[in-house]
Amino acid sequence: MTEGLNLDYSLLIPEFLLVGLVVAIVGLDLYAPKMKKTWLAYIAAAGLVAVGAVSLGYWDTDDNFANIIVVDDYTTFFRVFFVATAAVICLASATMVAEKFRHPGEYYALIILSTIGAIGMAASRELMTAYISLELLSFSLYVLVSYQKFDAKSNEGGLKYLLLGAFASAMFLYGMSLIYGITGSTYYSEIAVGLQNPTGDFQWAMLMGLVLIVTGLGFKVAAVPFHMWTPDAYEGAFPPITAYLGTTSKAAGFALMLVLFSQAFEVVHDDWSWMIAGIAAATMILGNLVALQQHNIKRLMAYSSIGQVGYMLMAIAALNSDTAQALLVHLVGYMVSNMAVFIVIIAWYNMTGKDEIADFRGMRERAPLLAWVLAGALFSLAGLPLFAGFVTKFVLFQSVWNEGFYWLIAIATTTSVVSLYYYLQIMRQAFVEKPAEGEESRLPVPLLMNGLAAALMVGVLYIGLYPQALFDVVEAATDVLFV
Amino acid sequence: MIEDNGIVIAFWILSATTIACALMTAAVRELVQAVLFLALTFVGAAGIYICLSADFVAVAQILIYAGAVSVLMTFAVMLTPAADRHNSETIFQAPALVLSGLLLAVIVFVVLDTDWAISDAGAFQTTAASLGEAFLKPYVVPFEVASVLLMVAMIGAIVLTRELEEDDDA
Repeated sequence: MTEGLNLDYSLLIPEFLLVGLVVAIVGLDLYAPKMKKTWLAYIAAAGLVAVGAVSLGYWDTDDNFANIIVVDDYTTFFRVFFVATAAVICLASATMVAEKFRHPGEYYALIILSTIGAIGMAASRELMTAYISLELLSFSLYVLVSYQKFDAKSNEGGLKYLLLGAFASAMFLYGMSLIYGITGSTYYSEIAVGLQNPTGDFQWAMLMGLVLIVTGLGFKVAAVPFHMWTPDAYEGAFPPITAYLGTTSKAAGFALMLVLFSQAFEVVHDDWSWMIAGIAAATMILGNLVALQQHNIKRLMAYSSIGQVGYMLMAIAALNSDTAQALLVHLVGYMVSNMAVFIVIIAWYNMTGKDEIADFRGMRERAPLLAWVLAGALFSLAGLPLFAGFVTKFVLFQSVWNEGFYWLIAIATTTSVVSLYYYLQIMRQAFVEKPAEGEESRLPVPLLMNGLAAALMVGVLYIGLYPQALFDVVEAATDVLFV
Repeated sequence: MIEDNGIVIAFWILSATTIACALMTAAVRELVQAVLFLALTFVGAAGIYICLSADFVAVAQILIYAGAVSVLMTFAVMLTPAADRHNSETIFQAPALVLSGLLLAVIVFVVLDTDWAISDAGAFQTTAASLGEAFLKPYVVPFEVASVLLMVAMIGAIVLTRELEEDDDA
């Protein structure tokens, strides 16, 4: 049975390099105590970029490791996506973490280790591997969210995330076992075969398995009604970790969902499409409406990200090769815009120590570059033309519309307009309101933060004005899923 | 082999014990007793593994769950103040009972209604060797990811329990 398995370890070099990077960073932190701690962040980011470059070497590969890990353009796409995200997060954390902790090595180590889990979720074609990768990502995030162990909010957010996350994992596991029970396999391709040849009547165990798997993954991507942990975890975490939760954790969830539903469950599309469509509708409506009432920027971004998850879930509900492409395009656009917003939030928090929306008043006078980046990124999240969000949302909505989910698109466009309102509320503080008394002076924004913000803004505009390059990459990445 | 009378009787006894202990875990007021019933539930599950001729998993279950995890939980309970060791009354009791009853009904229906895929593979000669083979050949990736996961758990435990450092004001 094990004959003919391809155990070619060279396919996993990027992951081994990431583990090596972790060891190097923890070791440097321990054995080079004189080194400035911000350097750990730069080394982590440089290492991640290097791993991203190595991963690019696997473009156009189509191979697998023991039929479990597939290395193709889809995997390469997400490898680069996740290490790029992690690199930006490491850079963004540099100042804050070095100030707060004497040994910040573990912080970067956990970020890099969680990246391995995220890559595993996208690359695996087998349920056990997907599950354990999901746990690797989740465990790292539980610790990162509760990293400020003497901060009550961080503890609260971390505990809620841990308990609900463990519960969700258990549900996912139970769903997996039911699917295994009726198909006799945990490999996606064999599950598809097992579901295709029903031995007779409708299999209720399959439906229950699907419900449990959707519930488990719904928790991980924070879809309504499984979103209760999100605002607290977002508020309690360090701002860079909040950004990380909003991008990598969600993108990994969608990477897993996309490959699982297209490879294993596509044959029973009608049995799960309706429930994901329902969840998508609830997520869009609740996320965007509750966001209207928030006054903390991190809680607002939490609900805004829930709304964005709703848009992305529509693509899963209407899954075909067009919506899969649109989903990846939207994920990239969302990642760049969301990161840009968070870079501004992090820079502002570093300088002022405040994260209420009202504290953003007068940003245009105090930190003009950050203010303009904030405006551009928020317009992009709302989906205004010129910016990435417009193109990606347009492609996404159009592909879902073509599948006949007209009512979902109606909800999506309406809630997009609603979202513009709360994004504009932030901009009103930043641009219209005058700075508080005695705080009119320019703030010394570090070059690194200005540079990151500007670079991400260039990305937002690039995708917004010239999306063809992204479309080409994404087309190659999703082609392998639909053959 | 599962058709032997002895196995069938053992299965029913073990199942009844396991379920009864699981129910008691939820029902008893005193947390220490709940932990002890939980340990018995673990042992019952180990017995069911033996009925399925999964001897290695059964031994691992007894060593890790019935042994280590229960002891750990007993310690955790003993270290909490005595006053917090009781499950208190809650108004959600009735709704919770109804909900779990419904859930049980759904699961029983699903279990009885479904045509389960039955493996036609023969029994293992030695499960430990087969497990080792599986872990190091086809499932080597999840096995290695699991070791990375343990590393994360270890780093996390150290980070979250480390003493306050003098200049660590977070």
